[in-house]
Amino acid sequence: MHLPPPRLGHPQLGLGVGLRTAHFAHILREWPAVDWFEIISENFIDSQGRPRYVLEQIAERYPVVMHGVSLSIGSIDRLDFDYLAKLKSLARHVNARWISDHLCWTGVAGKNTHDLLPVPLNEETLAHVVERIRIVQEVLERPLVLENPSSYVTFAASTMPEWEFLSRMSAEADCGLLLDVNNVYVSGVNHDFDPVEYIEALPHERVVQCHLAGHTNCGTHCIDTHDGEVIDPVWKLYARAHRLTGGVSTLLEWDAKIPPFDVVHAEVLKAKRWVEVRSAECGTGSDAIAHSNGVQIDPTASPSRIARTSIQVDRFVVHDRPQSGRLGSHASVSNPVAFLVGDVE
Amino acid sequence: MTDEPPLSLDAFQRWMQKVIMHPGGVVAGAETVEAGLAIESVVTRSRALSSFERLDIYNRSYFARLLECMQAEYSVLATAIGEELFDSFALGYLQQHPSQSYTLAELGERFPDYLAATRPVDGGVGDEGDWPEFLIDLARLERTINVVFDGPGTEGESLLDRERLMAIQPDHWAESRLECVPCLKLLPLSYPINDYFTAVRRGDQPDLPARAPAWLAITRRDFRVYRYPLVATQFHLLHALLNGETVGSAIEQAAATSPVPEDQFAADLRDWFFQWTTAGFFRDVRLTDRGHDG
Repeated sequence: MHLPPPRLGHPQLGLGVGLRTAHFAHILREWPAVDWFEIISENFIDSQGRPRYVLEQIAERYPVVMHGVSLSIGSIDRLDFDYLAKLKSLARHVNARWISDHLCWTGVAGKNTHDLLPVPLNEETLAHVVERIRIVQEVLERPLVLENPSSYVTFAASTMPEWEFLSRMSAEADCGLLLDVNNVYVSGVNHDFDPVEYIEALPHERVVQCHLAGHTNCGTHCIDTHDGEVIDPVWKLYARAHRLTGGVSTLLEWDAKIPPFDVVHAEVLKAKRWVEVRSAECGTGSDAIAHSNGVQIDPTASPSRIARTSIQVDRFVVHDRPQSGRLGSHASVSNPVAFLVGDVE
Repeated sequence: MTDEPPLSLDAFQRWMQKVIMHPGGVVAGAETVEAGLAIESVVTRSRALSSFERLDIYNRSYFARLLECMQAEYSVLATAIGEELFDSFALGYLQQHPSQSYTLAELGERFPDYLAATRPVDGGVGDEGDWPEFLIDLARLERTINVVFDGPGTEGESLLDRERLMAIQPDHWAESRLECVPCLKLLPLSYPINDYFTAVRRGDQPDLPARAPAWLAITRRDFRVYRYPLVATQFHLLHALLNGETVGSAIEQAAATSPVPEDQFAADLRDWFFQWTTAGFFRDVRLTDRGHDG
């Protein structure tokens, strides 16, 4: 059996932050001691303005990873080769360490819902996705890294759990995995599965990167809102994933109600403490995050929080629309796409 | 549970997309496709939520997400008319022009044209004025600003400066062509919305301006977008230059619209070209009659 090198040979970049427009000025002014940045690819591949300029400045000083939301690897539509060419060009330009997207489809018949829609997990979908990953990898001339999406539905047509699908997909297509620990938690709540079982069952040697984020618990389900701190149960899952993978590049996403950069950075740095605690509990040591740039961890990430298992229920934005009667407390937006709006004099 | 066979991936995606993009919700959406196909036969339930409730999350998010993006791009328009009315316009737009691009930057590309095409037949003309034109003007301005912000620019380039402009021989001037920077855009407007736009962006609540023709030049320097109010003559002059006409031809067209005496017009021209050169409107000058670039 072919066993790939850990992380498919990619480096362990440490603890990174998702690059967002709201932080551009701070980053250019302060050059914070963050290990690496992840960009939303679609926000930059066509830019000929300030976003592209800022990215170039950042790429000269930090490792950059490209994370896309419109590859639509699961769609039955034809692959967009113009889009792939732009991804490839930008990756070369900013020396992207790898390119990732999601196991999902975003639309069909030429439309884009700009959502990360789940696929039925069965043999037909697996064959379809594996074939497309191979094509994408051939075009990009590098392994693709795919993320487990958060989801709110499961399908009658599914015949296998998501972790099995991801394992087979990554082996058959020889691609990498981006393990979004928060997504595992969110989907676990939504689909009544054990997130520990999910993480234990993945092919850990193929995990190139981890994502962390906050979410909104609506009582009956969770929405992946990326609008707050990572909750303790997700940190515990992350610590487990860290042990199983041996430590991989880890990134915090914060896309709504975005606080100052230092707050976001401090949040991802909590990972150090959680890994230390987990290592102590398991009697194993790890230096996988030791080369992080040396900024002190947030003191609020005290070990005592580990004991707190209740789920934080945050307020979240209800986006009304004309048929306002239809919108109840379920209305919340899982939007990983930072939309760029220009400064104007 | 039902005994219906699973959909193919193709049929499943077409079904789900129609259902989650239906403005009336997932039940109404499901009724439009695959007659007799119940949501429960495609989507399984969880312990806490029914199949309908789970799928409905995607339907709600689809509209909420895209309306949020539309509000972000057209924030001044949304402020001017209120979120509820803006959302009703945007919802109609999204149904007529669903995104077909990998980037949200193109989501609102055709919104100004959509507003123009769907404006009331009577134009809303009355005591309150021709308000649809005001909304269309605002939408065009906001779209143009975003296009200029992230489109091609000239940062890092050496542009035409005052010295090079002054160095052009008078007998070459009329036949020369000024190459405008790619980020220079001109907007003819039905309302003088520039000050209104500035006030709303500043957080003020300005009165609506009285209807009057107005013109704007919009460009970018050092990654910032700038707006320059123009008079009609300036607009016609710049418009001709943007179309690649010679300076002489452009001046001739502008002169036809000038309300001032000829000697005043000549003095104005000199000031305008200096101002626009300082503002970075021109990348280069081409002395076409001599067969070489200046």
